[in-house]
Amino acid sequence: MLTIVATNLLRSRARTVFTAGGIAVGVATIVALLSFTQGLKDTAAGFVHLGGSDLGVFQANVSDPTASLLPEAMVGQLAAHPGVARATPLMLLVEGIRSDSSAIVFGAAPSGFFTGSLVVTAGSAARAAEQEALVGDRLAAQLHLRPGGVLAVKGRPYRIAGVYHSGILFEDSGAVLALAQAQRLSGHPGEETDVVVQLAPGTRAADAAASIERGFPGTQAITDPQQALRAGANGTLISKAILVIVVIALLVGAISVANTMAMSIMERRGELGLLSTVGWSPVRVASLILGEGIAVSMLGAALGLFVGVIGGSLLVGALGVSAYVSPSITAWGLGRALLVGVAIGVLGGIYPAWCVTRMTPLKALAGT
Amino acid sequence: MSQATGAAVDVEGVRKSFGRISALREVSLRVNPGEAVVIAGRSGSGKSTLLSLIGGLDQPEAGRILIDGRPIWRDRHPARARREVVGFVFQRHLLLETLSAAANVEVPLLGAGVHRRERHRRALQLLEEVGLADRAEHLPSELSGGERQRVAVARALANRPRLLLADEPTGALDSATSERVLDLLFALREELGMTMLVVSYDPAVGARADRTVTLIDGQLRAAAQPSNRPALCAS
Repeated sequence: MLTIVATNLLRSRARTVFTAGGIAVGVATIVALLSFTQGLKDTAAGFVHLGGSDLGVFQANVSDPTASLLPEAMVGQLAAHPGVARATPLMLLVEGIRSDSSAIVFGAAPSGFFTGSLVVTAGSAARAAEQEALVGDRLAAQLHLRPGGVLAVKGRPYRIAGVYHSGILFEDSGAVLALAQAQRLSGHPGEETDVVVQLAPGTRAADAAASIERGFPGTQAITDPQQALRAGANGTLISKAILVIVVIALLVGAISVANTMAMSIMERRGELGLLSTVGWSPVRVASLILGEGIAVSMLGAALGLFVGVIGGSLLVGALGVSAYVSPSITAWGLGRALLVGVAIGVLGGIYPAWCVTRMTPLKALAGT
Repeated sequence: MSQATGAAVDVEGVRKSFGRISALREVSLRVNPGEAVVIAGRSGSGKSTLLSLIGGLDQPEAGRILIDGRPIWRDRHPARARREVVGFVFQRHLLLETLSAAANVEVPLLGAGVHRRERHRRALQLLEEVGLADRAEHLPSELSGGERQRVAVARALANRPRLLLADEPTGALDSATSERVLDLLFALREELGMTMLVVSYDPAVGARADRTVTLIDGQLRAAAQPSNRPALCAS
C-alpha cells in the first residue's frame, strides 16, 4: 500500500510539490505565529517582573498596558498596602528612540528598587538632576552606544552615563531616565504608567493582586504573563487574531488537499475502478486516497516546520519588535503544527475518499 | 499451481438500461462449472454489460445473478465476491503504469490482505506461468502489447479465481499476438478448471469455447451453439 501511495505521489510530482507547498505555508504560518505568541508570553513575563517585582499595577481597561496612567500619589499608598514590601513608579515611553523604535525607555525613581536592580557594567549611574541616561547592554550593542555618548529620546539628547544589565529582555533592550525626565517627555508630570510592587515574604501574589484591585478601584494588578497578554485590548486582539489565522490556515490547507485529491480521483477514476474490480473493498480504496492525502500533508508539514522556525524570526524582524520579542519554539508548538498537518490531510482526504466509496467499478472504469 | 473448481453462473431474467436505452432485456443464462462460453454479438448488443453484471461491477435493475447459487449482490459491495471468485481480463490491459509487472500482479493480492512475501512469490509464479518471468521488474511501458495483456491475465489469476471473465481480451492485439493470448487463456482454463466467460465477436475464439451464446439488441436470441469441444467440468 505504501509503495502505491508513494508512486502515486511521485507520478504527479508538480502537483504533489505544490500541494505540499501550500500546506507548508499554512503550517509555517502556524509555527511562526505560535513561536511569536510564545515569545510574547516570555516577554510578558519580563514585563510583569520589571525590576524584580512580584506584580505590576496598571490602570484598568486601557487599550494597552503602556497606555496606562496612574497618579504619582498612589505609590506611597501602595507601599503602605498590606502585604506590600516596596513599591516604585515607572513611566514607560514607547517609540521614544528613533533609531530603534521597539526599544522602551523607562522613567524610574533613582531611589526605587527598579533602578537599584540595574547592574552597571560600564560608566556610572545616571544623575537625576542632569540630562543623563543609562542604556541597556542589548541596546548599547545594537546601536553601538557607550558611556559618554549621546542618546536621543523623543528628539532630546541625553548623555549616556553608563551601560547596565538586568537580565530582563525588556529592560536590557531599552534605556532608563530619571522619572521626572520621562514624565516631562511624555507630557504627564506627576503621573506614571504603572507601579511595580515587591511583596512581603509569605504573601501570595494572587491574594495581594486581588486586595490591591479592591483597595484601588480602576486599577489592575498583573501577576502572570498570560494576564499581561490579556491586560490590554491590543493583547487580546493579537491573541484572537492569531487563533483566527491558525483556523484559516487549517481550512485553507484542508481545502487545498481536498481539491488536489478530488482532481486526482477524477483523473484516476479508471485506476481506482480497476482496484475495485480486482477485489479491493471500498474501505481499502478510500484508505489509499486518505493515505495519499495524509502523506502529502506530512510532507508539507515537515517543510512547514522548517520554514516556520525561520519565519518566526523573520516575522519578529518585519514587525520591528525584535528588541522585546524573541520567538520561542517549543516541542509542544512543533507537535501542534505537526498535528495540524495531519489534520489537514485527514480533513482534506475524507471527502474524496467518501466519493470513491460511492463509485461503482463500472462507472469508474468508464473513466479510463 | 493448485487446481481450482469452476463456479456455476446463473443469470435469471436480468434487465439493465442506461437512460432510455435498454442494454439487457430479460436475459437468462446458465453456465456450468468449468464451462467456457463465448458471448457474441454486435457492438452495442449488451455483451460487456452482461459480463459486468455477472462480475458484480454494476447492479441489474431486475432479475438476479447467482454465482454457485448465491446472489453476487447479496452484500452492498460485491468486492469480496470479486476478490474470492472472479478474475477479469479486459480488452485494454489496464495495468498501473507506475508499478512493475510483478507489482501489478500483486495488486489483487494486496486487496486480499496477502502478506508481502507471499504476494511477491505468487506474482513471480504467475508471471512464469504466462511466460514473463524475465519481465517481472519491467514497467508496462517497457512491455509489448501482448506482454501487457499476459501480465493482465496473470493479474486476473492472482487470487485463484473460479470464474474468469474476459471482455474482448484480444480486441487490441494483432492476430499473431491474439493467438498466443488465446492459447494462454484456454490452456490456463484447462489447467485450472475455471469457468470462463469470454466476450468476443471473433469466430476463432468461439471455435475454442464449449459453446457460444449471442446477444442481439440486449436479448439472448441464439441460446446455444453446439461446440466441437466437450464442456470441462472440474469436480
